[in-house]
Amino acid sequence: MSNSVFIAILIILLLAWYLSFSATRLDRCHHRVETSWEHLDALLQRRAALALEIARNSDLDPATEMILTSSAYQSREANIGDREDAETSLSESLKFLHHSALQGEITISVGLINELTTLTDKIRTAIAIHLEAISAVRNLRQKLVFRFFHLAGRAKWPEKYHFEDDEL
Amino acid sequence: MNRSLKIGMVCPYGWDTPGGVQIHMKELAEHFMKAGHEVSLLAPVSDEDSLTEPWVVPAGRPVPIPFNGAVARILFGPIATSRVRQWIASGDFDLLHIHEPAIPSLSLLACVAADGPMVATFHASAPKQKAIYAIGPILEPVLEKLSARIAVSEMARETLKVHFDTEAVVIPNGIETKKYLNGRRNEDWYAPHTLGFLGRFDEQRKGLQVLIQALPEIAKKIPGVRVLVAGPGEDESVLKGVDPSITSRVRFLGRLSEEEKADFFASVDAYVAPNIRGESFGIILAEAMAGGAPIIASDIQAFKDLLHDGEFGKLFSNESSKDLARVAIDVLSNDEARREMSDRGREYALTYDWGSVASQILDVYEVAVAGGAKVTLASENRGWRRLRNE
Repeated sequence: MSNSVFIAILIILLLAWYLSFSATRLDRCHHRVETSWEHLDALLQRRAALALEIARNSDLDPATEMILTSSAYQSREANIGDREDAETSLSESLKFLHHSALQGEITISVGLINELTTLTDKIRTAIAIHLEAISAVRNLRQKLVFRFFHLAGRAKWPEKYHFEDDEL
Repeated sequence: MNRSLKIGMVCPYGWDTPGGVQIHMKELAEHFMKAGHEVSLLAPVSDEDSLTEPWVVPAGRPVPIPFNGAVARILFGPIATSRVRQWIASGDFDLLHIHEPAIPSLSLLACVAADGPMVATFHASAPKQKAIYAIGPILEPVLEKLSARIAVSEMARETLKVHFDTEAVVIPNGIETKKYLNGRRNEDWYAPHTLGFLGRFDEQRKGLQVLIQALPEIAKKIPGVRVLVAGPGEDESVLKGVDPSITSRVRFLGRLSEEEKADFFASVDAYVAPNIRGESFGIILAEAMAGGAPIIASDIQAFKDLLHDGEFGKLFSNESSKDLARVAIDVLSNDEARREMSDRGREYALTYDWGSVASQILDVYEVAVAGGAKVTLASENRGWRRLRNE
């Protein structure tokens, strides 16, 4: 009799340990999603600022200048819903700009172009790592233990944004 | 990155045995230190007295264990674990860069013991093994702690994806291109129509025998063809049973120093890499290209990836001496094409230069340290923390 009570207690303790261990795992992954997003966000803000600087200091045609300026403004101020489109149009117009500058069709100062190149590299890396963090959380949260015991608590389901698929 | 970082690197293999991972780590560490960062590198070391780098922290003597078809010198056990914990606790690191954490050695121990910004590089590529189903669940929560994963090649990334279902950023291994820029043709070595081979030639998987067997065929069209074989090796049994008119065309140079290596690449008309298998990156091809040697390589996956399916070097079908002969004759008889291959190779090799590779790695570090936390010893899990704090 006392033997089976002992075993029951042992099982409960093991289960408690396992749940707590799993919660820690998930917590760590959530934390990583947040920090990688903050970092990516900061880089995107820097990109918007750089885009405005390019628009202001280069001799662009009015249409390009308008697209560049408006998407840069939007990505700095919009809420995340509108921002997705803003980031995509910013990616597209900067890609176009970069390409034409390399072809010599328009002139942008070398300093700005270099800054844009390094920043784009950084953003590409940051997006890859952020998406990696998201899929880690999603994989975990889809597992039975995590769903059944509500280990994610009230944490939001991590979002992927469209602009993260953009080709930079 | 603007601020200087204190980086802790962990090497899984014996530091004083030659190997690709060790060379990669040494050069990366030196590059970062030159750029103003601080590096401490924890590694197993067989002979602590002959350790020349003051920034390498020995963790104990490695044990030779057969692993993945080769003998790996690794280190594990309770003493190693406490060394790792001690190193992390006293290091005050901004970031840990762990190499090959899926190998049961120091790297895995460090990954378990630490919390905070951690980046890992995966070098190896291997087909999926049965054992992975057993060790996968053990490794999964450990590898999950990494802030970011780097794979050195498409193949290594694929391996990681198949084994552990996680993604990685691909950043290649680096080379010091300027070391190979000014190689001078050694007139003692060179004669027109010289092919070069570099590597441990007595290892069957390096494929020197494929090249030797192709020689009679090549000699029919290119009478002056010769082969320079550089690198360490015990016996020259590859030449056993080969016709003397062929063996007289082969010359063994022994192990070369770094400067001699640059001269070697400048003294061949084409560099031949007939490796049969067991190559996951092919750094030697990047080095040969930086040295201006046109490349002829077997079409194993690693070489195909590195040469962009033949765009930057000629491929022949693996293990086929006949195909190698065909390609070699083609390359050796066309001076103009060789010159063009050499120029394009030099330019392409720049993408593997440490200058570009290290800054990509630094971009990854930047994401990892973005949270602002430092590396600490892993705390107990959340339940314990709550119980103790509340």
